[in-house]
Amino acid sequence: MSFFDRFRKKNDAGTAKKEVAKDVKKDAKTKTAPAVSGGSCYTKTAESISTAQLPAADLGELLPGAPPNGKINLAIYWAAACGGCDVSLLDINERILTVGDMANIVMWPIASDGKEHDIAAMEDGEITVSIISGAVRNTENEHMVKLLRKKSKIVVCYGACACFGGSPALANLVPGGKNEILDYVYKKIPSTANFQADYHKNSPVIPQTKYAAPEGELVLPTLYDTVRTLDQVIDVDYFVPGCPPLQESISYMLKAVADFAYGGVPLPPKGTTIGVVTRTLCEQCPRRKEYRRITKIVEPHEIDVDPELCLVDQGILCLGPATVGGCNARCTRAGQPCRGCYGPTTAVQEQGASALTAIASLFPVLDEDATMEEDKVIDIMSTIKDPLGYFYAFTMGKSLIKKSVTEKGGK
Amino acid sequence: MSEFEPKIVAFCCNWCSYAGADGAGVARLQMPTNFRIIRTMCSARVDPEFILRSLAKGADGVIILGCHPADCHYIGGNYRARRRIALIRLVLEQYGFDPKRLRLEWVSASEGEKFQKTLTDFVNTIKELGPTPLQQEGE
Repeated sequence: MSFFDRFRKKNDAGTAKKEVAKDVKKDAKTKTAPAVSGGSCYTKTAESISTAQLPAADLGELLPGAPPNGKINLAIYWAAACGGCDVSLLDINERILTVGDMANIVMWPIASDGKEHDIAAMEDGEITVSIISGAVRNTENEHMVKLLRKKSKIVVCYGACACFGGSPALANLVPGGKNEILDYVYKKIPSTANFQADYHKNSPVIPQTKYAAPEGELVLPTLYDTVRTLDQVIDVDYFVPGCPPLQESISYMLKAVADFAYGGVPLPPKGTTIGVVTRTLCEQCPRRKEYRRITKIVEPHEIDVDPELCLVDQGILCLGPATVGGCNARCTRAGQPCRGCYGPTTAVQEQGASALTAIASLFPVLDEDATMEEDKVIDIMSTIKDPLGYFYAFTMGKSLIKKSVTEKGGK
Repeated sequence: MSEFEPKIVAFCCNWCSYAGADGAGVARLQMPTNFRIIRTMCSARVDPEFILRSLAKGADGVIILGCHPADCHYIGGNYRARRRIALIRLVLEQYGFDPKRLRLEWVSASEGEKFQKTLTDFVNTIKELGPTPLQQEGE
């Protein structure tokens, strides 16, 4: 018996044993709780694979040289975004090397040259695809996305910020708008506060949007009071949600573009959201659901997280019940609650309101409930800190009430 | 300038409060006409999205009326509703709304008088608060 044979045999015995153990466990489970679904978080069960339902995003071989009708033009742009979406585009692994064969990258601020005036000099529709990530929150963002829309055949709204506003849109909740934000950032946070105190004690410096230099006027982009999503500013053809979108979504998008460029295969209908399923994240999450009641909200680091039990059952605020599936529950498999970056399901507009409904219903009915004062209920619900920021972490830009308001008082 | 007439959306549960409103009508009780009733099967049917949508469309106040505790047609619907309303009230407070713009009251099928009193009181509260801050910003 060679070394490898021995190894193989041992391995086989190991899996056989495991399977038996699993069967026993399964039996035990079905006896005690018939409603239980899904298996362990660490093994890929047949169930978790079947619920993924993502179209096969296999590009097959690397892209075969240049398309028959010449290279297409590809622009990738970031508006108010962190850059994570740009980096995520590299998740298509070695295929990224052949994207250069398919397309001229005419603009990609994070990776290649290509200036605003180059784009402006192009014919309308000369760019085949523009992939734009990030929300729109200043004059430069707005100018560039409008320019790219004019020059592009297809615009892809890429990432949670572009689709729903994302984290930048939480700035809409600052009552004082851009002035309060600028004031805070340039005067109050410790690093700038010290700088201002050392060098500009009497008149703190806030960057001006216009400066008359001897050579001519210099202009900086002006911040807006309201952060908008991409489709609130320009017409958008496809949505790819996620923070950042997963490899499957990106491959699917790239495959659609490649099929179009090489074989003239028609693109998906306008307005398609790429990479999502119709049901919520819970459908893809392999954790065991016991539908427990919770009385206290905890953070994952405060407790010993059970690797197999539903996070909400353990008192961790997870937005899975209100978030559309498509990511195959990457975060919850790793023991982190869902923050909702894939946005709401198609049935609702408000992801935050759905999450709020789901979570509030988990608080148990108490014996004293019939005689309880309303203040007591508020005390119970106050265990959720910052509900607005938590439930709308990614979707403030698309929520029904998009901005903080100020009561003016009666007459 | 004429007096501010608020627009109020009232969600009434089918089994208690809607019948209570009916009772108030049958008894010909006088009350302000600033509210529009939307009948729901239960106060727990009122999704927070309904409340936000009402406010987003310009309602000055939203009132949810349900069965008294321990009196729900569906056993526990009103307990769920009050937890959600408490949470959505915290959300509205974070937005900057006065939490008094959202109210939850219990009105049973026989309490036509309480229905009249509650609505009159709520209309007065909203009149004191003035028009919704959302509308003012849009203008």
